Amino acid sequence: MSSVDIGMISIVAIVLLIYLGVYIPIALGVVSFVAIWIMRENIDLSFALLKIAIGDSAMEYTFATIPLFVFMGLIVSKAGLGADIYAVMNQGFRRITGGIGMATVGANAVFAAVTGSSIASASVFTKMSVPEMLRHDYNPRFAVGVVAGSSVLGMIIPPSAMLIIYSFVAEQSVGEMFLAGVIPGLLLAAAYVGAIWFMGRFARGFVGGKAVEEDDLMTWGEIALKTLPILSLIVVVLGGIYLGWTTPVEAGAAGSLLGILIAGLRGRINLKSFWETLIETGHITAALLFLITAASMYARMLGIAGLPNALQDILAQNELSFFWIMFLLVVLMLFLGTILDTASIILIVVPLFLGLIETMGLSLVWFGIVAVVAAEIGLLTPPLGLSCFVIKATLDDDRIKLKDVFLGALPFAFVMLLVLIILIRFPILSLALL
Amino acid sequence: MAANAAGTCVVIALIAVVNYDIIARGLFNRPFLGAVEVVQFSMVLIVFLQLPDVIRVGRLTRSDGFLGLTRRRSPVAGKTLSAVIDLLSGTFMVIVAIAMWPEFVEMWESQDFFGVPGVFTAPWWPVKLVIFLSACLCAVHFALRVVKDLGSLGQSEDAAT
Repeated sequence: MSSVDIGMISIVAIVLLIYLGVYIPIALGVVSFVAIWIMRENIDLSFALLKIAIGDSAMEYTFATIPLFVFMGLIVSKAGLGADIYAVMNQGFRRITGGIGMATVGANAVFAAVTGSSIASASVFTKMSVPEMLRHDYNPRFAVGVVAGSSVLGMIIPPSAMLIIYSFVAEQSVGEMFLAGVIPGLLLAAAYVGAIWFMGRFARGFVGGKAVEEDDLMTWGEIALKTLPILSLIVVVLGGIYLGWTTPVEAGAAGSLLGILIAGLRGRINLKSFWETLIETGHITAALLFLITAASMYARMLGIAGLPNALQDILAQNELSFFWIMFLLVVLMLFLGTILDTASIILIVVPLFLGLIETMGLSLVWFGIVAVVAAEIGLLTPPLGLSCFVIKATLDDDRIKLKDVFLGALPFAFVMLLVLIILIRFPILSLALL
Repeated sequence: MAANAAGTCVVIALIAVVNYDIIARGLFNRPFLGAVEVVQFSMVLIVFLQLPDVIRVGRLTRSDGFLGLTRRRSPVAGKTLSAVIDLLSGTFMVIVAIAMWPEFVEMWESQDFFGVPGVFTAPWWPVKLVIFLSACLCAVHFALRVVKDLGSLGQSEDAAT
């Protein structure tokens, strides 16, 4: 059996183990350990590589961005910044059919610029936006679909944990990945708003809803009070990175400090909830970095098996065009999206394709955006649409079934696919800001 | 959990150190030498001090659709499967511990350090020690989970008979 065969079997074994319910990092670690052992007939090499993977991955300086941005996201959710921006957006869109839906998308886009996780967005907006839409007679499926669809923005618009992970796998700069994510993220948000308008116009039944009566409108002063904190955070974080004043790590730390100050000044946190936020940050960071550690072992195993090169040869022999390679990639990611979470998909698929993309002379920054968006579609599709699960769990309303959440999210998953195709076709959208 | 609390405090320390560096460098032109090394070290602490707690509360990343289905269809098969998975995971953590121990001994004896000599250096051995201890603790937590799975397995069989 050649190394390439063992490599292939390993990938199948990993997917199978994960499907059975083995912890993803354990599946990656164990299979890679055994595969290297078999390929080289030398268990010492397996131990040596395990040692390097475990010891070095956590020491990576840029990974400090993960706890910092996770913490910042959690603390601003606690500070109620999401609710504020939502209230303002709602007022702006109040006269349009589907306006609350558009406001949800808009608020999510802004909120995404201060958090790096779709899960945070999904739970925050489920609590605010879904009851509001139901109150105005919107179709429940549409209501949850909008929240599910727009929660995805959290992982595309920087700072985003997925862009950080990709930048590690592909050895790209985190700052550049962040800047590359801005336009695709805004494009997706705009596409959602367009889709809601379209549905409001041509599929009234799916949207539902009635005009919002003129509530008490906020004064400009109130609007400023609600938007300034979040805007100042965005300026500090993204502005600092864009102008080159701060590294992404420093931007994360500054943003966290500012987040603590805002939450503190508003009296939204006490010692207990502050402590809980810290523990939550630690848990998310540890789980994510352990996954990354195991995945770096897996990437080394792939290298030893020579699988990326073999894949390159196979694709070159068949003279596959750019279109078919991208088609295969997207189909593979959509398939894996049905059983894996976004981070795992990126960690498993990207190392296979990196060499190929590089020899084709394509930009690795652009490829990162494509990979992240493609992997994110899996958040919305059954059976493992994580965003949909979070919404169902947060909603706590028996009238809305998990099936409704998935069906409601479907049009938005479709819009995502269209945006993904546009991003693949026009790389300039990802590279313009660099 | 002491490790958990310590790991949590490191998050605050991380925010503090990097901010101190930004302010000291930006306003007073006196960067905190060694910020990078301290950040690297705190990342190791956060990850490996928290990892056992992540396992304890069952938040390690997994896709449990099939497992959940099996559990509903047949509780016995489901529990056996999850005991096997936890056993496998525990074994892996033991392997990690075995891999890290010689590293620690080596660093302890050689007193090697990382960082830039003359600017800021930190010894390697605490890093290796933390990882080693964390792997041991993770293995213990997985072992406890196996015992719990099997224990409840016995109960459900008793209930059936």
